[in-house]
Amino acid sequence: MSPEQASGIKDTVRAFILGSIAIAKLDDDDDLFGSGIVNSLFAVQLMTFIEKAFGIEVGMDDLDMENFKSLNATAAFVLRKNGHSAA
Amino acid sequence: MRRLLTDSQASRHEEFKSFVKLNVEPFAEQWDREQEIPRSVISSLAQRGYLGCSLPADYGGQGSDAVTFGLLNEALGRGSSALTGVLTVQSMVSMALLKWGTAEQKRSWLPPLATGKMIGAFGLTEPGAGSDLQSLTTEFTRTSGGESLLLNGHKKWISCAQFADLFLVFGRLERRPAACLVPRNAPGLGVEPICDLMGFRAAGLAQLHFEDVEVPSENLIGKPGFALSHVAPVGLQYGRISTAWSALGLLRGCFEESIAYAAARRIGGGTVGDLGMIRSLIARMGTDLEAGSLLCHNACRAEDDHLPEAFERTLTAKYFTSKAAVRAASDAVQIRGAAGCHGSSPVSRYYRDAKIMEIIEGTTQVHEDILGKMFVARAGGPGK
Repeated sequence: MSPEQASGIKDTVRAFILGSIAIAKLDDDDDLFGSGIVNSLFAVQLMTFIEKAFGIEVGMDDLDMENFKSLNATAAFVLRKNGHSAA
Repeated sequence: MRRLLTDSQASRHEEFKSFVKLNVEPFAEQWDREQEIPRSVISSLAQRGYLGCSLPADYGGQGSDAVTFGLLNEALGRGSSALTGVLTVQSMVSMALLKWGTAEQKRSWLPPLATGKMIGAFGLTEPGAGSDLQSLTTEFTRTSGGESLLLNGHKKWISCAQFADLFLVFGRLERRPAACLVPRNAPGLGVEPICDLMGFRAAGLAQLHFEDVEVPSENLIGKPGFALSHVAPVGLQYGRISTAWSALGLLRGCFEESIAYAAARRIGGGTVGDLGMIRSLIARMGTDLEAGSLLCHNACRAEDDHLPEAFERTLTAKYFTSKAAVRAASDAVQIRGAAGCHGSSPVSRYYRDAKIMEIIEGTTQVHEDILGKMFVARAGGPGK
């Protein structure tokens, strides 16, 4: 993956989360689930946003916290789903 | 509502309303009194493809958009909230399975659900876990070979459980939330009817008792750990869409019954509708009907466009229409006076059914808590 692609994905997802959750900032490696930033009510909204924004479908095989635990992980997941191999 | 719809959606709505007028409205009182919907009525829903309204044609469904699904619920809600409940839970099970099932699970289970050969029920609520789903105690344990699971626990207030063939049951597997399909004929599964409810009396509610019920591990839907965060919310989203529109249909019923009565009932030298205080009640009802309709369309358009806002818009629609339905049903009884309190008038049933809609798929207070939090979050966090 190129750094530019990953950065663009992270910025897009970050903007969505900051517009939805009452937090002031979100770093690339912040733990989205462990910290409580993403709770069970927000998880499907975030997934739907990612599907819509990046033209992918999250399926049963993708249900792994490692795919969504941070902005870095989410960017890597989106790029993998779109056929980009990890750097 | 007509101007909000495509020609196809408007045509389907007329079809749904005609079906309800002929097959539901004349019998709804009897079903309510007898606390039972004849299986033949559910079969007639199935024959028309209504139970698979939202499922793709590949699985035997109609592949309808969310707005059309909503219109079906609205039409059914005008006739019988209890019958609409069948469509509600069928869709909750089907749509959760469509999103999170494996290819094999979808091939096996979705066609019978789409065609109504199999009726589903959503086994989420427990005696000690209603709004607080983190308190689920129903437990799955792996058998020694790992090929099957043993299920133990209890579920309560499960709509359509009296006659359902397949249950999507939520519990814990190795302490992680898990969801699993359980056929009705699984040994060890007991179904105990819940009767004499205030409303939804024909919706077939029951308690489920699981005592060492063995199910194949391949019946797990989604992965353990994601049942409450991902599997249940997909079903609940369709449950809320269904309930929002069903409440809208009930509200339309209150409005139509009230304006007809107000125009026809003589009092003094005029009609009930000449009275300012009655006009006030009807004005609020009609305004709520229009506002509820817009909110329901707004929610379904977001669902059809696969927008994350669909969650919030659906919560808003369900919150509004269920509360408005309670208000409208109360006013519809009030307008009729003593006649409105008798079972010969549909508004007495509407009054009892409307209150249930404020409770199912999340209480009004749960909706207020979630929506209030979401709205406040828009202002941003500390220092934002």
